[in-house]
Amino acid sequence: MTIASTTQLICFAALSITLVVGAFGVVLLPNIVYSAFLLAGVFLSVSGLYLLLNASFVAAAQILVYVGAVNVLILFAIMLVNKREDLSAIPGLALRRVLSAAVCGGLFLLLVRVAFTTPWALPGPASIGEEATARIGEHLFSDYLLPFELASVLLLMAMIGAIVLARRDVYTSDVITGEPADQGLIEKARTPLLTSKP
Amino acid sequence: MTEAPTIAATVPVSNLAVRSVIFDPSSLQLNAAAIAPEGAVLVALLLSLLVDLAGEQVAARWVPPICYGGLGSALLLLALQWNSPAEPAFVGAFLADNLAIAFRSVVAASTLVSLMLSWRYVERSGTPIGEYAGILLAATLGAMLLCGSTDLVSIFVSLETLSVSSYLLSGYMKRDARSSEAALKYLLVGSAAAAVFLYGASLLYGLTGGATGLDAVALALQSSTTPVAALSLVFVLATVAFKIAAVPFHQWTPDVYEGSPTPVVAFLSVGSKAAGFALALRILVGCFESFSVQWKLLFTVLAVLSMVLGNVVALAQTSMKRMLAYSSIGQAGFVMIGLVCGTEEGYAAMVLYMAAYLFMNLGAFACIILFSLRTGSDRISDYAGLYQKDPLITLGLSLCLLSLGGIPPMLGFFGKIYLFFAGWADHQYLLVVVGLVTSVVSIYYYISVIKMMVVKEPQDASDVVKAYPELSWNLRGMPALRAALVTCVIVTAVGGILSNPLFGWAGEAVTGTPMLLQAIAAATAHASLG
Repeated sequence: MTIASTTQLICFAALSITLVVGAFGVVLLPNIVYSAFLLAGVFLSVSGLYLLLNASFVAAAQILVYVGAVNVLILFAIMLVNKREDLSAIPGLALRRVLSAAVCGGLFLLLVRVAFTTPWALPGPASIGEEATARIGEHLFSDYLLPFELASVLLLMAMIGAIVLARRDVYTSDVITGEPADQGLIEKARTPLLTSKP
Repeated sequence: MTEAPTIAATVPVSNLAVRSVIFDPSSLQLNAAAIAPEGAVLVALLLSLLVDLAGEQVAARWVPPICYGGLGSALLLLALQWNSPAEPAFVGAFLADNLAIAFRSVVAASTLVSLMLSWRYVERSGTPIGEYAGILLAATLGAMLLCGSTDLVSIFVSLETLSVSSYLLSGYMKRDARSSEAALKYLLVGSAAAAVFLYGASLLYGLTGGATGLDAVALALQSSTTPVAALSLVFVLATVAFKIAAVPFHQWTPDVYEGSPTPVVAFLSVGSKAAGFALALRILVGCFESFSVQWKLLFTVLAVLSMVLGNVVALAQTSMKRMLAYSSIGQAGFVMIGLVCGTEEGYAAMVLYMAAYLFMNLGAFACIILFSLRTGSDRISDYAGLYQKDPLITLGLSLCLLSLGGIPPMLGFFGKIYLFFAGWADHQYLLVVVGLVTSVVSIYYYISVIKMMVVKEPQDASDVVKAYPELSWNLRGMPALRAALVTCVIVTAVGGILSNPLFGWAGEAVTGTPMLLQAIAAATAHASLG
């Protein structure tokens, strides 16, 4: 065993342990702020695994998008809400936890079994390392052109939708008749909703 | 528009090093004309957003004609593509075969009708109209591209375009807690379904060894019956079932349908569902041929559960929207009979029933939108005695509900009888018997609405109907609603008698689709061997 492969093995073990422990922490810790920070750790270890696989572009994208944008957004959302209230106890919580643990465990065993019984074609295609960015660019403008262009429509729509839902300058009147409007469904609720109960 | 539709540029071969397993020279053509209808929708989308910059008054004036122009020319371009030889477009990312054209037409037509139903509803609720049309057109764009995508990446991106726009639309009445609740539920369940699809797709990508085209996936699955393939089948099937709201993946449907703006529900129940069925055909029939016994068994279970649960739970509903939500679950179960058959008649019956469902379901939605605009209610008991005050709604809703129930001589009867006939010919006795029994159940609750409207004496009419406003059609947006309503009702009522061309088109949709023909040929070869 050479020094290079030993280093690789140690890195892999360290990253994997961080990943698994972090992921358990995200799910199990009661404090949501800890969960959010641990999630950043999980994302960072995943990008470390990408680096080990010699996919530096994907690793960089992972850090930029998930740690830099998604996770920061989650933290912002938590801090903006900043609401401390004691939630009412859910009946049968222990049973629910046992059930969901059983489902997740079953799924995990299934996936492990599938992964080990499948004859994977190993080793896969050789890694192209530094050329990856160029290759991705070529794909985006040849065979993935359609999804690439469609993604622009998707992003435009997500942006417009976010603005529509978040903006405050509301038209509170019917543009045709000038009657006041409440930006709600035309079918008015007769029975109170679950959320409006005291 | 992103590309000039007539250019067929040649892509250098060197750029395609890894991806395509089957190297077909004709697949190197861009063939951008295949997505010309989507281009028309995109132009309409951008124009509506631009017009909206000039203010809400200008938008209310100009957005409707822009949308009619875009969707009308999309339908025209789709008609021109009909029966043309299906060349792979965008280097194997898209295929405009007759099946795709048929489903894309259903999607575009459902958007056109939904928009005609929307204008007054959106203006009355005081929400911005330009953005509404833009988001609905983006959903249409995603759904239309989903119908023809032949590549896992394209399928995922178009699925997400459809889904994200649908989440936004269901939460569009943002000051209403029900609408926000619907959007949140839809977002959470839909994101989970998307994640499951992505997992399944990544397993398929691993099986092919680095190709994402559906033809490569089909090739890899033919030679492998590994557990990974079965697992990816389950994952992909769960997503498809979520999109077509099949039981037990239906839990989101009633709440989302009840909380979303009614015209959006009309689109979700027809356009989004049609795209889901196109995806099911494309992936299950096209790729999982070697697993056809397994997925047909799973779909039989889903179809039986959907028909039984959808139609039985609909009996107990008091809200019209919720009732139509459960009825749409049952209707999806009927369409799945055609999918399970796997014969030429089965596929043709699916296409025909989707087209019939477009008119009868949108006609019913047009009536309940008009009723809620006039009274602000969608409770079934509020329809009591309506025939005295509003004969048009009474007649239209009665005809559409009878057609949904499958009463002759409506359009829905012919669609349903064709489905059952195809199922019986393919020895799917269980499905056909369950379908017949649940049809009778569905007729009961459809007729009880009609009874509520027609049979009640004037003094027994509901308070809402007693205080019914004067009928008037002169507000902007109302004529469009009336035109959509009358068209849908006429097609539903008369289309059954004149359905011969529809049968012909549905047959052509199958015979003009190489993928389906191969599957049918493989199935018959298998049957004659066994």
